[in-house]
Amino acid sequence: MTDPVLSLREAALSLQGNAGPVEILEAISLDVHRGDTLGLVGPSGSGKSSLLMLMGGLERATGGTVTALGHDLTTMSEDALARLRRDHIGVVFQSFHLIPTMTALENVATPLELAGAPDAFARAEEELTALGLGKRLNHYPSQLSGGEQQRVALARAAAPRPDILLADEPTGNLDSTTGTAIIDLLFGLQERHGATLVLVTHDPGLADRCARVAELSDGHLTERQPPKARTA
Amino acid sequence: MKLRLAARLAGRELRGGLHGFRIFLACVILGVAAIAAVGTVRESIAEGLAQEGATLLGGDAEIELTYRFANPDELAWMQDTATRVSEIADFRSMAVFGEERSLTQVKAVDTAYPLVGTVDLSPDIPLEQALADDSLVMHPTLADRLGAAPGDTVTLGSKSFTLRALIEREPDSRTGGFGLGPRTIVLRSALDGAGLLEPGTLFSSHYRLDLPPGTNLDATRAEAETALEGSGMRWSDARNGAPGVAEFVERLGAFLILVGLSGLAVGGVGISAALRAYLSGKTQTIAILRSLGADQRTIFLTYLMQVAVLGVLGITLGLALGVGLPVLLSPIITAQLPVPAVFAAYPGPMAEAAIYSALSILIFTLWPLAQARDIRPAALYRDADTSGTLPGAGFILTTAALIAALVWVAAWFSGNSTLTYWTAGSIAAALVVLALAGLALRAAARRLRPLARGRTALGWALGAIAGPRSTASAVVLSLGLGLSVLAAVGQVDRNLRDAITRDLPTRAPSFFFVDIQRDQMPDFSARLDSDKGVTRVDAAPMLRGIISEINGQPAAQVAGQHWVLQGDRGVSYAAALPERSTLTAGDWWGEDYDGPPQVSFAADEAQEMGLKLGDEITLNILGRDLTAEITSFREVDFSTAGMGFIMILNEAALVNAPHSYIATVYSDAESETAILRDLSRQFPNITAISVRDAVTRVSDLLGSLASATAWGAAATLLTGFMVLIGAAAADARARSYEAAILKVLGASRARILWGLSLRAALLGAAAGSVALGAGIAGAWAVSHYVMETSFAIAWPPALGIVAGGALISLLAGLAFALGPISARPAQVLRSRE
Repeated sequence: MTDPVLSLREAALSLQGNAGPVEILEAISLDVHRGDTLGLVGPSGSGKSSLLMLMGGLERATGGTVTALGHDLTTMSEDALARLRRDHIGVVFQSFHLIPTMTALENVATPLELAGAPDAFARAEEELTALGLGKRLNHYPSQLSGGEQQRVALARAAAPRPDILLADEPTGNLDSTTGTAIIDLLFGLQERHGATLVLVTHDPGLADRCARVAELSDGHLTERQPPKARTA
Repeated sequence: MKLRLAARLAGRELRGGLHGFRIFLACVILGVAAIAAVGTVRESIAEGLAQEGATLLGGDAEIELTYRFANPDELAWMQDTATRVSEIADFRSMAVFGEERSLTQVKAVDTAYPLVGTVDLSPDIPLEQALADDSLVMHPTLADRLGAAPGDTVTLGSKSFTLRALIEREPDSRTGGFGLGPRTIVLRSALDGAGLLEPGTLFSSHYRLDLPPGTNLDATRAEAETALEGSGMRWSDARNGAPGVAEFVERLGAFLILVGLSGLAVGGVGISAALRAYLSGKTQTIAILRSLGADQRTIFLTYLMQVAVLGVLGITLGLALGVGLPVLLSPIITAQLPVPAVFAAYPGPMAEAAIYSALSILIFTLWPLAQARDIRPAALYRDADTSGTLPGAGFILTTAALIAALVWVAAWFSGNSTLTYWTAGSIAAALVVLALAGLALRAAARRLRPLARGRTALGWALGAIAGPRSTASAVVLSLGLGLSVLAAVGQVDRNLRDAITRDLPTRAPSFFFVDIQRDQMPDFSARLDSDKGVTRVDAAPMLRGIISEINGQPAAQVAGQHWVLQGDRGVSYAAALPERSTLTAGDWWGEDYDGPPQVSFAADEAQEMGLKLGDEITLNILGRDLTAEITSFREVDFSTAGMGFIMILNEAALVNAPHSYIATVYSDAESETAILRDLSRQFPNITAISVRDAVTRVSDLLGSLASATAWGAAATLLTGFMVLIGAAAADARARSYEAAILKVLGASRARILWGLSLRAALLGAAAGSVALGAGIAGAWAVSHYVMETSFAIAWPPALGIVAGGALISLLAGLAFALGPISARPAQVLRSRE
């Protein structure tokens, strides 16, 4: 078997709260291989999003190791982490997190511009058009509906063709119809580009669309086989 | 009831502290402090001048005569009226030491001088001792120019004197040291044999009167006017010992306070922005209060009361700072001032600053308060942005009335309604132009954004300027006004200096020579005619006269306060129309004309004074009245600094009066030293005034005025910087969010910092460019209409303004950039979930 693209060994995260340190994650070990689709489920506050943040280098583990594509994220500088994300990792958030001062097109083009792509805007336009937003290119996020904003966020994450796609409750702020459409798009993108997908969700049904499902509870991870495994 | 409830609600809101109001307070404090400080300094000087009136005047009252001493009858009246009388002659002369010679203003005194105060000397000896045995004292500047020191022998006219000491303080120096020649004090009796104060010499005599205690100054003045009727005397008394200085300080103070108002306008923009930001954070609270039954009036009063409390706090702190600082620094300020000042907390300037500020606060807060009043309970469920809505007509009318009241109050306080209306109009126009420029800048950024593809940081910067929640307007408004004033001052100052130093010398003479006796004229002309460096010599007889009446009416009643009536003017006579003179109306008298006196008047001044051909002018010359009919008008160009007489009479009218000649000499710079040396040696009584020196002094004075204005503008800019800091602080959360997303997308911290810096610098440079445009337009108007000089853009200060704008904006932006770039993205993003 090939080396995992994401690997966590005894990874822990504790955050400083007002009443002292709070243990968010304890001794998490997990391997995710190229092309895998992994659903992360668990009750609210179980640390699903924090675990995803560790995988994307957005949060630094306070114990153990987190490796992405062979890079130890726990020892890398902030800028090195940023470069790694730029070249290999796309992230989709529940709250979309689009840059409010940029149009849809500019939002999607930004990671491509950062990577030095000479055709950043053409590719961004192509990506948005593929997701049905060809007529909304020059709209600012505040001028788009929630579903449209999430599609822009998806396009932005997918445009640089990342090796890893991390999605944090991407349908959390959307109605069920729009949410389903977004999930279809997400899996469609993952399939089309062959990326590894880690999907955080509190919806077990949604998680079951992944090939693997891991449940996080009380800071510990337990993996189970989904009833209807879906291979990448 | 509502009021009490609103007060309780306001109290609860303010209980949480002043966190959201720091910029609000800073803007109020700065605006109030700047105006209070200027007012306090102005009032302190006015009080100093009032208290030291007798000292500055040199007595309880002074009678000044031009060109002559008092006759025995006049002197007898003075001696009967006063307990002591001191006679002083004031004139210009040349002081000579070795090969060095310099213009000096001589005060020839008697032994009674000074009636009030003392002359401080270095070495510290009594004046009486310093002036004994043909000795004199002089200002250190003059000694420096001559290279002379106490003990040296210097020459005045044709007589040698021992320089005994240097003047450290002259109690009755009213010019604040400004004058073409530094002071020399000598006994008048010692001038016998010096060849000075000869008939026709230009001098003024001053009689200082020490009056018995309780003398009614108005009554004494009336008596003097009767006793010395027709003498052309000028009266001053201790109630206003230095009228020129007092007036100058008053006017400069009024002007600087008007400049300070621009600071208050910028502060107002900051106050408004701070209140909007605060109220925007209170939308939820207001919506809850509304859902619980609070009506619009209660909401309005609740937040108006908070504004009032903060306004009073800010004004109090601002007054403490604005009055406290000058009082605290009074030893330093007094040492720098050429006039006396009594520093204290004066209620007048404090009230002025407080009223301006209170009105400004109301003007700039009514609008956001009215919008807060319109927030509906539905805001609890969905975003309800009221920032773009217009308040009711009542609020708009009230705001307009408050603006009118502010302008009216400013006009009343400044005592110069024209200047106030122009200033207020300019500030309003500048604010409108800057607001439009902010919108134009956003539109331009939007258009340029596609061109920046491939330049990521530039693209972000342009996107942020063009996009929603852009701070472009705030930056341009807050920086623009201060920079506009600075730009205008810089352009006017540079153009005026250029006009003086570059243009004037090519047209102006090198020297004025005065006090040339009639019998000296042939030799004087011969020396100059033989000099190849001399290109032109103009000479004319000159007397000094005061216009006392026009058509039999007191002159001031006919022509008001026109400058020609302020003091004595040079008067000449001629048989034939002088060379390079052009008549614009009337006829010149025949060369042999011997009839009743006729006068040719300067055309522009005559028009300003409302004079016409056939009018009769009564001139007091040497204490005698002479009435002449205006028979012609002439073009006189004073801008070339050449010889120009407002009035030229026919020869027979004045030829027998004692008088001297004045000459202007045009020469190349290399010949100037030799001309000055030869003529001073040959004619010790003649006084030479170097135009170059005069120009330097005038330039220095203009430089000081420009500096004072620039300081006023700097206060505006400082307020603008505070507003900018406020805007940056309010924007910091949005920047952090943006930076976090960019990090997620792979941007390095350096790249983010570069993008933020570029955005701040672009906004600042744009504000500077707009300000430069406004400043250049203002400076052109001042140069063209007020100074009547040519105008050319001075690029070094212009570029400085643009660069300065970029730098200030960059500093404010960078102060809040470190937080966003150092924050972990997960923390920031989580807080937005």
